[in-house]
Amino acid sequence: MSDSAARVEGLRVSLVRDGVRSDVLRGIDLTVGRGEILGMVGESGSGKSVLALAMMGLLPVAADPQVDGTIRVGDVDMVHGSPEQLRAVRRNELGVIFQDPMTSLNPTMRVGAQITEATHDSAESIRLMSAVGIADAPLRFTVYPHELSGGLRQRIMAAIAVAGRPSLIIADEPTTALDVTVQAQVLDLLRELRDEFGCSVMLITHDLAVAAQIADRVAVMYAGRIAEIGATEEIIHRPTHPYTVGLLRSRLSLDTPRDRRLLTLRPETASAAERMKGCAYHSRCPLAVERCATEQPPLAPASQGDTAGTADTATEHLRACWRTVADVQGYTHETSDATPIASLARPGASADTTATPAAPAVRITDLTTVFALKGGGRRKRQVHALRGVDLTVAAGEAVSIVGESGSGKSTLLRVIAGLAPATTGRVELAGRGAQMVFQDAGSSLTPWLTVGDILRERLRPAKLDRAAASRRIGDALEAIGLPETVAALRPAQLSGGQRQRVALARATIIPPSVLLCDEPTSALDASLAASVLNLIRELRRSLDMTVLFVTHDLAVARLMGDRVVVMTEGTIVESGDADDVIHHPEHPYTRSLLASVPDIGVLS
Amino acid sequence: MSAAVPEVGSRRFRMPAATLGAHAGTRLSVVILVALGILTLVALFARVLTPYDPVQPIGALNLAPGSDGHPLGTDSIGRDILSRTLIGVQVSWFSSLVIVASGLVIGGIVGIAAGVFGGWLDALLMRFTDLFLALPGTLVAIAIVAALGYNLQNTLIGIAVVWWPYYARIIRGEVKSFAARPHVEAARVAGASRTRVVFRHIVPGVVPTAIVTASLDIGNVVLLLAGLSFLGLGQPAPAPELGADTARNLSQLLSEWWVPVIPGLAVLVLSLLSNLGGDAVRTLLARRR
Repeated sequence: MSDSAARVEGLRVSLVRDGVRSDVLRGIDLTVGRGEILGMVGESGSGKSVLALAMMGLLPVAADPQVDGTIRVGDVDMVHGSPEQLRAVRRNELGVIFQDPMTSLNPTMRVGAQITEATHDSAESIRLMSAVGIADAPLRFTVYPHELSGGLRQRIMAAIAVAGRPSLIIADEPTTALDVTVQAQVLDLLRELRDEFGCSVMLITHDLAVAAQIADRVAVMYAGRIAEIGATEEIIHRPTHPYTVGLLRSRLSLDTPRDRRLLTLRPETASAAERMKGCAYHSRCPLAVERCATEQPPLAPASQGDTAGTADTATEHLRACWRTVADVQGYTHETSDATPIASLARPGASADTTATPAAPAVRITDLTTVFALKGGGRRKRQVHALRGVDLTVAAGEAVSIVGESGSGKSTLLRVIAGLAPATTGRVELAGRGAQMVFQDAGSSLTPWLTVGDILRERLRPAKLDRAAASRRIGDALEAIGLPETVAALRPAQLSGGQRQRVALARATIIPPSVLLCDEPTSALDASLAASVLNLIRELRRSLDMTVLFVTHDLAVARLMGDRVVVMTEGTIVESGDADDVIHHPEHPYTRSLLASVPDIGVLS
Repeated sequence: MSAAVPEVGSRRFRMPAATLGAHAGTRLSVVILVALGILTLVALFARVLTPYDPVQPIGALNLAPGSDGHPLGTDSIGRDILSRTLIGVQVSWFSSLVIVASGLVIGGIVGIAAGVFGGWLDALLMRFTDLFLALPGTLVAIAIVAALGYNLQNTLIGIAVVWWPYYARIIRGEVKSFAARPHVEAARVAGASRTRVVFRHIVPGVVPTAIVTASLDIGNVVLLLAGLSFLGLGQPAPAPELGADTARNLSQLLSEWWVPVIPGLAVLVLSLLSNLGGDAVRTLLARRR
């Protein structure tokens, strides 16, 4: 037995996607110590999930994986082991928790039976269910996955994961699909599992703050390589790689200045081939020098000289960057304040808007929405999505609506947009009506129409001729920061951030009075999300729109709204000035939400 | 450690068959569709390609294939089998296409109407469809032909009447599933009219499924038509028809086998090609997406 739960050396993986072979992992060296929680952090496409699959020996055969290097879990080589050996490792050494517990649990089996598949003993299963914090375990033993909440399902996954007494649990984005309060519980659970069962945990996440909460060490991945790895304290407070610095600084916190542009990483400009040659981050890096574009930096100790040779390799702070630590950290200080943008100043602060009380842009009176659920049984079940909501939004005001899933916040938006019915109550909209931006931009754009077709549709009432319409489309695309040529592309040819920009262009090509935003950035990486939030704030000023912004993220809510409204169970429980609500919450529910926000403090 | 480093692409991690198979699938599909194209051209120009009049006796009786200007021989009254088979293929092939097209059109209208409007119209149209699905299709077709008289037009009407419900079902389901997608809501919020939402944001998504369903269905129609004709429900004699030519000459199966077998083989080739063609269309459309 070795002293590590898993050891990865020189791992390279290439996969075929859409007929094109690409290098997904490009030389990963990594050790997960026994009883250690290692956070793997990276944006989408960084290769972190492929690493997890490779460690489980479950790379998708359809992608024709070519693997180079070694992965040892326990004593077995996961690259060359026989299928029987790999199965034995997965059964005895590994536990897995996936992002979406609904799709990874079998919907046709009772949860107890699913745990018992791993434990072979129902008494042990019930004990495990209690151990992962499921109250009334004997009762819950016989329910189906759909009868449980998201948090409980994730606990069932955790119970299955620890059933075989694994030495390593791989948790791939286990909290991403969950509400903040539940997210905090699941993270606590992972730590408890480590403490109780002594297993190691590899926590894969796109959110540095989530990793920082429970990880002993954090590895930051970029484009299939490790950019920086070290003790959590070190990475969070003394980052030495420009990418880590950028990630930390584009992260939104409850103290991010509200009147400034949010910091974002530079957009990628290099082609895939160029990125492979040198440091993959070089075209986005504000500190890049010539060498960065031509030569790949090795992963080397961050503190050169003094500790070389003596440091424990398992906990050493390593970085892959040609610039010196002093250069990187010096730069951090130089640009620690973003330029304030005059046009982003709050309109409510100027005297004349308060002096002339214009008609409100949105007036909602005693709004109730009841959905009848069809289903088994004779009695029709009713869900009260909204229970008497009153909300008035002044023209030009931005209001954030926060709440957890099921709070009715999205239903409220859908009623305003006319997509859901109001059972009782009134919704009055000013002037040019409302437009909406959806959570999943990709699926909100018709896949077989071009961007130009989609935008032109909103211009139809204006009855412009072809040339004028094309000009308008070009202008609208320019306003959201995309080249005119995008008009000829279909949504599938765009990246996630570009799709959300196109959705914004559709909403604003004829400026509406009210812009409704339903979690438009929750599916985007932090830096992309920040740039879309910047864009929405700019458009709000330049087009003089009222904004209703629904989100589950309190930091985003505070930034996007002059006012924050907190909803739970279909009612508004708190409403007030954004900073007041966030920093001096009055309602107990708001306080519990705030207490669950993972935060890593301000970057020094 | 260097000894443990595997060569890139060691056997276990290489599945060339899968990728090659994908390419081969595309190529094979194209070949099949080209073959179907040639078949359609042959059917289209069958009148020009036939060496003899298919209806008039022109040679010795029961000549074996390959003999004396008759590549496929002659039948019991001296008609050229190649000529009769070519015309039979023409009738079979275009009739099948007409039936499938009628199924697409009628089923498409019913399915789109039911899927888009929903409510009582949906319920009404779907119960009506269920009614037709519950009837034994072939028997109803036979009854209709028997009632209207034996000729090609009535056969086609008979089959068309029972053929659309299947399409209506599938298209309604697809319309419903597309109508529930976020991009349809987004189009509604963006102010698109109902007609526009249906024909720009829903129907184009249904088209690929409808095409695949239809192309997989052509073979069924070929067989049904041949079957009806075999039972004597096609065109009256002496019109050349594949099913009828097989049935009428069945007594010669042991003496002059080619007379009944060749039209039968033509049916086999037709239905096989159209089934392969259906698969090919599905493969190519799936690749495009």
